[in-house]
Amino acid sequence: MLAWTIYISFLGAGLLTLLPRNSAALARRLALLTALAGLAVAVAGLIRFDPAAGTRMIADVPWIPALHIRYFLAADGISVTLVLLTGLAAVAGILFSWNIEQRTKEFFAFYLALIGGVYGVFLSFDLFLLFVFYEIAIIPKYFIIAIWGSTRREYGAMKLALYSFVGSAMVLIGMIAAFVVAGHLTGHYTFDLTVLARVPFPASFQRWAFPLVFIGFGILAGLWPFHTWAPTGHVAAPTAASMLLAGVVMKLGTYGCLRVAMTLFPAGVTMWRTEIAVLAVIGIVYGAMVALVQKDFKFVIGYSSVSHMGFVLLGLVTLNQIGLDGAVLQMFSHGILAGLLFGVVGRMVYDRTHTRELADLETMNLGRALPFAAVTFVIAAVASMGLPGFSGFVAELQVLVGAWSAFPKAAIAAGVGIVIGVAYLLRAVQRAFFSDMAARPVEAAAHHPLPPISWPERIGAGLLIAASLVVGLYPQVLLNVISPGVASLLEAMRKGGAL
Amino acid sequence: MNDLLVMGLEAAVLVAGLAVLLLDLWTPPAEKRNLGYAAAIAVGAILLASFAIVLPRPLAAFGGMFVLDEFALFFDRFFLLAALLVLVISVEFADRFETGVAEFYALILFALAGMMFAASANDFTLLFVSLELITVTFYVLTSFQRRQTQSLEAGVKYLILGALSSAFLVYGIALIYGTAGTMSFTRLAEAAPAVLDSRLLQTGLLLVLVGLGFKIAVVPFQIWAPDVYQGAPTPATAFLAVGSKAAGFVLLLRVLFTAVPALGPRWSRLLIVLSAVTILYGVLCAIPQRNLKRLMGYSSIANAGFLLLGVATLSRDGVSAVLYYLGGYLFTVLGAFAVICVALRHTEGEDIPALAGLHQRSPLLAATLAMAMVSLAGVPPLAGFFGKFLLLKSALMVAGDQPALYVLVAVAVVGVVISLYYYFGVIRAMYWPAEPVEQGHLPPIQLSRPLRWSLLLCIAGMLWLGVLPGMVVNLANLAAQTLLP
Repeated sequence: MLAWTIYISFLGAGLLTLLPRNSAALARRLALLTALAGLAVAVAGLIRFDPAAGTRMIADVPWIPALHIRYFLAADGISVTLVLLTGLAAVAGILFSWNIEQRTKEFFAFYLALIGGVYGVFLSFDLFLLFVFYEIAIIPKYFIIAIWGSTRREYGAMKLALYSFVGSAMVLIGMIAAFVVAGHLTGHYTFDLTVLARVPFPASFQRWAFPLVFIGFGILAGLWPFHTWAPTGHVAAPTAASMLLAGVVMKLGTYGCLRVAMTLFPAGVTMWRTEIAVLAVIGIVYGAMVALVQKDFKFVIGYSSVSHMGFVLLGLVTLNQIGLDGAVLQMFSHGILAGLLFGVVGRMVYDRTHTRELADLETMNLGRALPFAAVTFVIAAVASMGLPGFSGFVAELQVLVGAWSAFPKAAIAAGVGIVIGVAYLLRAVQRAFFSDMAARPVEAAAHHPLPPISWPERIGAGLLIAASLVVGLYPQVLLNVISPGVASLLEAMRKGGAL
Repeated sequence: MNDLLVMGLEAAVLVAGLAVLLLDLWTPPAEKRNLGYAAAIAVGAILLASFAIVLPRPLAAFGGMFVLDEFALFFDRFFLLAALLVLVISVEFADRFETGVAEFYALILFALAGMMFAASANDFTLLFVSLELITVTFYVLTSFQRRQTQSLEAGVKYLILGALSSAFLVYGIALIYGTAGTMSFTRLAEAAPAVLDSRLLQTGLLLVLVGLGFKIAVVPFQIWAPDVYQGAPTPATAFLAVGSKAAGFVLLLRVLFTAVPALGPRWSRLLIVLSAVTILYGVLCAIPQRNLKRLMGYSSIANAGFLLLGVATLSRDGVSAVLYYLGGYLFTVLGAFAVICVALRHTEGEDIPALAGLHQRSPLLAATLAMAMVSLAGVPPLAGFFGKFLLLKSALMVAGDQPALYVLVAVAVVGVVISLYYYFGVIRAMYWPAEPVEQGHLPPIQLSRPLRWSLLLCIAGMLWLGVLPGMVVNLANLAAQTLLP
C-alpha cells in the first residue's frame, strides 16, 4: 500500500501540469490534497506496519529483464519512518507556500515530482531503481530554486545541482562496480539490495567502494567538507524548497549511506568509520560555530542543518543499536524541526519583512509584531537545542550514548557542538525577535503593520510542532518500528564482517 | 537478381531519391516544399517494410561484399528513422533555400542510401564507396545556403578536411590490400597471423582509423565539427550529427570486430586514450559557447568520446551499449535540432539567449529542447541516462582485464558532471532568461502538424528508451551478437 505514496505524488504532479494557466487557487488545493493523501497513506502504513515481520515486500516485477533490473519496492522500519517524515514535510511545505503566486501550478508540479522521487528512494530495494528515484528527486530541486528562489538563486541552484551530480556520479560508479563484482563472484548479476547485502565483497574492493558510495551520498547529507552547497542552496531556495531540502532531501543522503554504502560494504565501514566520525564531528562543531556568526537569519538555520546532520552521520558509524536508532530518529527529528525553522524564517518573517539580515530584524520588534512567529520559532529553537520533551532530545541523546561507547572523544566534541548550538539559537531568537533595540523604529512598523500570520501557516507550524512533541514525549511510537529494522541491518553487517 | 533483393532497402531508398528528382520536374514551385513530406512518407514506408524482414541467418550479396545481418538491419532502421525526422525538419527549413528544395530532399535520401550501404559493408571497397557517397552528398548539403558565407565556409571546411580524410582512408586501404591481398573483411579475418603482424598492414589500419575518426569527430580529427555544425543549414547539421556519426561508428565496429578481431586487444589502449581525450575536449570547449549549434557541435564531439568508450571495451556488452546509446542520441539530438530550426529562425545566428521566453511562445518546443538537454546531460529517467549507464557498466565489466578503463570511466564521469553545466544553461535561457523579455516580443510560434508529431515522437522516444529500455536493449544485444558471436 505504501507504494501509493509514490503514485499519488506523481499523479498529482501530472494533473497539475494539465491545469489551465491561471488557476493558482485550484493548483494549491490540488497539491495540498495530493500531499495529504500521501501523508494519510504514510500514516496508515506506519500503523499497519508489523515490526516483528521484518522487511515487507510491496511490489516486485521485472523491469529490464536483460540486466536483471526489477521494480522492487519494500519497506522496513527505517523506510516507514522516513516515508512518514516525507508525508509530514510535504504537507507542511505546501501550507507554507500558500502565497506563491508566480507560476503556481508549475511550482507545485515540480514540488510533487520531488516528493514522489523521495518516497521512491525510501521504498526502493533495487539499487538501480533507488538511483533513478534519487535523481528524480534532485532535478526538480534545481528548477524550484532557480525559478522561485531569492538570494543568488542561479548560483545556489547550479552549485546544488553540480554537487549532487558529483555525488550521484560517485554513487553510480560504486553501484555498477558492486553489480559487476557481485556478478563475477557469484555468477548472478543483480541490483537487488537484499541479495547484494549478502555478497561477500572482497576487502580490497570494499576499501575503495565504500568511501566512494558513502561520500557520494554523504555530499547530499551535508558531510563536511562537502557541505558548502547546503547553506547557499538553502538560502537561495524558496521557503518550501528549503524546508524540503533540509527536511527530506538531505535525508536521502544519510539514508543512502545507511541503506546502500553501509549495508553493501560492512567491512568498508569498519575500515573507514573513524575517519567518517571525525568528519561528522567536525561538521557538528564547525556548522554550529559558523552559524554563531552569521548575519543572515536563514544562513544561521542553513549551517545548523550541517551541524545537525553531523549527528546523523556520527550515529551511523557508531555501528551499535542505540547509535543507529538515534541516527534514524535524528533524521526524522531534524526533518521536522529544520522544516519548522525554515518555515518561520522564510515564510513568516522574510515574506513579510523582506529582509533576513539580523541587524535589520533587530529593529523591527518582531516579538510583538508577529507573536505567533516568535512563539513558533522559540519552540522550534528549544526543540532543536535538545530540550527534553521534543524529538531532538531523544535522538541526539541516543546518538551521543552510542558514540560514547564507540568514539568517546567524538561524543565529547559533539557535546560541545550541542552547547554552541544553544548559543547560536539563543542569539538568533534574541536578535530576531526580542531585541532591546526595538524601541527606536517601532513607529515605522506601526505605520506599515505586517500582514498577520495566515491560517495555512498556523496549521503547518502546528502540524510540525505536534509531530516533534509526540515523538519527544513518546519516542516508542517510532522506535518500535526503527529498532527492529536497525537490528536486522546491524545483524547483516556483523555477518558481513563489520567489527 | 537475388543480390538485388538482399539490398532491397537500399535500392528502395535510391529509387525514392530519384523519384523525388523526377517529381520535381512536374511540381509547381509553390508545392515543391511538400515534396519533403512525400520523401518522408516513402522513408517511413521503407522503415515499416524493414520490420517485415526476418533473418534466420545473415544474407550476403555481391560475393560477400554486402551483408544483411541483424547488425546491419538495426542500423538500417536507425538511419531510416533519422532520415524521416530530418526530412520533416527540412520542410520547415525549405523556405530559407533560394532554389533546389527538391535536390536538398533527394541529397538527404542519397546520403541515407550511403549510410545504409555502410551498415552492410563487409569489404573495404564498399566501405570506401559508401563513405564517399555520404561525404560527397554532405559537401553539397552543408553549403546549400549558397548566399550565406557561413554556410559556404562550412562547406569548404568540410570539403577540404573530408577530402583529406578520404585520402588517408584510401591510402590505408591500399596498404591493407597490398599486404593481405584481399579487400574482404571476412577473408582478412582468416588471414595468417604473420600477415596481421606486418607493420604495413597495421599502418594501413591506422590510416583507415584516421579516416573514420574524421567522420565521427574524434580528437584529434574533430577540428571541423564546430564550424561545420554552426554554418551548415540546420537539417544538414542534424543529419550530420546523427547519421554521419553513426555511419562512422558502424564502419569502425565492422572493421574492428569483423575484419581484424585479433588486433583489437592491441588497440584498446589507443582507443581508451582517444576516448578520454575526446570526452574532455568536447565538454571543456562546450562551456563558453554562446551559439547553440556550435554548442551541439562540441556536444557531439563529447558524445563521440562516450561512444568510443563502448568500443574500447571490445566486448559484446560494449557494442550493445553503443547501439543503445546511438538510439537514444537519435531522438535527443533530432528533437533538439528540430527546435533550433523552428525557434531560432528569425534571429541572426543561433545565440542561446535568443531562446528567452520560448516556453511562452511554444510550450512544446521548450519542453522538447529541455528534455533533450536533460537527456544529453544523462539524467534519469531519459534515454541519455540509460545509454550512459550501459556504457559505464560495459566498461566496468571488463575493467578487471584492462585497468586503464577505470581511468576512462573516471574521466567519463567527470565529463558528464561538467556537461550538466552547459546543458542546464540552455534550459535556463529558455525558462528564466537573464534579461526578461517583454510580452509583446513573444509572438506564439505556429507548428505544422508533421513537425508537432515529430517532436512528440522525439519526446516519446527519449522517455521510452529511458523508462522501458527492455525492448531496445534486446534489439541491441541481438545486433551485437551477430558482430561478436
